[in-house]
Amino acid sequence: MAEIQLRNVGKRWGSFVGVHNFDLTIADREFLVLLGPSGCGKTTTMRMIAGLEDATEGNILIDGKVVNDLEPKDRDVAMVFQSYALYPNMNVYENIRFPLKVRGIDPDTHDEKVRRASAMVELDDFLHRKPAELSGGQRQRVALARAIVREPNVFLMDEPLSNLDAKLRVSTRAQIKNLSHELAVTTIYVTHDQIEAMTLADRVVVMKQGVVQQVGSPTEIYDRPANTFVAGFIGSPAMNLMEGEVSGGVFRADHAEIPVDAPDGPMTLGFRAEDASLADAGGQITAPIYTLELLGDATMISVRVGGALVSVKADKTFRAEIGEPVSFSVPKDICHLFEAGSGARIGG
Amino acid sequence: MSSRALRQPVSLRLTSNIFLALWCLIAAFPIFWIVVMSFKSPVDAFDSNALNVIFGPATLGVGKGLSLLDIILGIAVIWGTILAATKPLPSMVKSYSKPGQEWFGWLAGVVVLLVGFLLVFFVILPVVLNVLNPLFGPLGRDILGLTTEHYKTVWIDRGFSNNFKNSLIVTTGVVTVSLTVGTLAGYGLARSGSTLAFWILIVALVFRALPHSVLVAGYLPVFINSAEWLAPILGENAPTLYGKPFAVIAVLVAINQPFTIWMLRSFFQNIPAELDEAARVDGCSHFQAFRRVIMPVMWPGVITTGLFSFLLAYNDFLVTALLLDAQNQTMVPAIVGMFNRETTTTDQVVAVAAAVSITAPLIFLVLIFQRQIVSGLTAGAVKG
Repeated sequence: MAEIQLRNVGKRWGSFVGVHNFDLTIADREFLVLLGPSGCGKTTTMRMIAGLEDATEGNILIDGKVVNDLEPKDRDVAMVFQSYALYPNMNVYENIRFPLKVRGIDPDTHDEKVRRASAMVELDDFLHRKPAELSGGQRQRVALARAIVREPNVFLMDEPLSNLDAKLRVSTRAQIKNLSHELAVTTIYVTHDQIEAMTLADRVVVMKQGVVQQVGSPTEIYDRPANTFVAGFIGSPAMNLMEGEVSGGVFRADHAEIPVDAPDGPMTLGFRAEDASLADAGGQITAPIYTLELLGDATMISVRVGGALVSVKADKTFRAEIGEPVSFSVPKDICHLFEAGSGARIGG
Repeated sequence: MSSRALRQPVSLRLTSNIFLALWCLIAAFPIFWIVVMSFKSPVDAFDSNALNVIFGPATLGVGKGLSLLDIILGIAVIWGTILAATKPLPSMVKSYSKPGQEWFGWLAGVVVLLVGFLLVFFVILPVVLNVLNPLFGPLGRDILGLTTEHYKTVWIDRGFSNNFKNSLIVTTGVVTVSLTVGTLAGYGLARSGSTLAFWILIVALVFRALPHSVLVAGYLPVFINSAEWLAPILGENAPTLYGKPFAVIAVLVAINQPFTIWMLRSFFQNIPAELDEAARVDGCSHFQAFRRVIMPVMWPGVITTGLFSFLLAYNDFLVTALLLDAQNQTMVPAIVGMFNRETTTTDQVVAVAAAVSITAPLIFLVLIFQRQIVSGLTAGAVKG
């Protein structure tokens, strides 16, 4: 049970700004994902909450109490590290038990708690192995069990899946989602993988170079990106972004002429590949095919508009030669408009 | 090894093997030779015929020797001890000691084995052989001259046991202080990213580069006058440190510490910082994380560094010779003293026996800790 408040939190090393003016309240039992490319300050933010890094500005509050000067051990948080950070000299059982031991929790309850935690992550058969004898996925689960064993107030997960292979990542992701639902603990999860963010989060915080770009539910972030950075970061493939000029209610770029509701001036227009569709002729974008990618469930057609590559999802049976002209239908209501300079969203 | 790509041409293998054999011979010969010499009477030890040195006819002549039976049974006992130490001992230690207290089981096991070996080898075996030798005719006749009288002379008459004790005090002191300071400093410096830490390390390197005699010269007046400057603190009982083991420990630690810090620091750097962070989030204070999580992973590094500190203290001549009085003399200066005397050949062989005595513990130490030392020297082996 914990609400976390970050009040204008910042971190700088000398003149380098790691995190700038981070201001957010994380509700009790919320699953919050910090998302961004590497070096965007998401891990630093998490480490400041854990107490492994000192905030140089602002206050961090857990359950209404300022914890800036508290040691990590006194904040009642549990953390899962990217590299798992298992204690190599202890077996799985001792690893999971360690937090109970150092916190002086009644030794009689240890066995039951360790077994319950290990059962939750399906590790019962490996309790006597050393970490070196486990696979990556198993180590990951030991780290999870070690975090949940003492039922902390806050869970912190630092890219817990990035060292796993693709298949294991999907199943472990499901397991984490299930665990967080079952335990109902405030969770902060750091990742650079937008699919993880979309699937796990109640709310996503997108960061770039230490600055928060957008805070919102996965659908909000996907459907209404606050700027071109978020638009280009979220989604697979990312949103198509074209630079051009609006005059008289029409957005113009090479090969593209799209009617929009916007004042005149330079602008960036974006739409998602799956929202647009192929048109027989007379679509808003008509250009020669630059490349054709078969994805199995669909075919991705790309053309060049100005300097940018614009992709549209077509039926999986669609076939054409590179260089053949193709026309896309891009109706007004699927378009997102952004200011040319700042990249900020225009309109609703 | 069997891979084709790694197979070496015969000529290369031959050359490298010959080189290795030659190197072993050159390196091991002096040790082998002083061991042989130390067990012979002076006439044999300095005989111009090498075979006479090995078989020792003159030693045999005064009735000191071993029969074939003695040799066979002696080797059997030693072999049996080695077997017992490598096979049943580890498993017994594992099954009898509580988990987490294996070191105590090891200590008890090793002591039992050692006492058993000494009892069998030096008490039971001679008695048994005294009875058996006459019964076996030619097998029981002495063929190899061997006498332990020089060891008796060294250890009992010349008071070498006192030197041994002093060496023990000095080395224990140096190793304890070096490792305590070294692990704490090495850990701190490894985890600190500040420029100050970098400069401390550079300064440490500079001190390491100083000739040892410079440090001794600097310390000498301090130790000679210590009664004076310690008086305000300790009152009338203030000791003169000059001549005492403490002075040597202080100087040797000063010489050794930069090296220990550097070495331990690099070991600590091989341990991912996330391990401390995980421990701190799990509920440890900084120091608890160091003690309960980092140190258990650090043993190979600590043992390797400890061994180097031990060797420095154990083998040191300059500092011990300059700073210790006769009463507190350690083994190395004592042996040098024995060789330097106006001597008879007997004295020379006694000195050789002393030299063997000082070498033996080193060989045992390296053998016992070889696995940790190897894993310590091939750093990176401590990763989780």
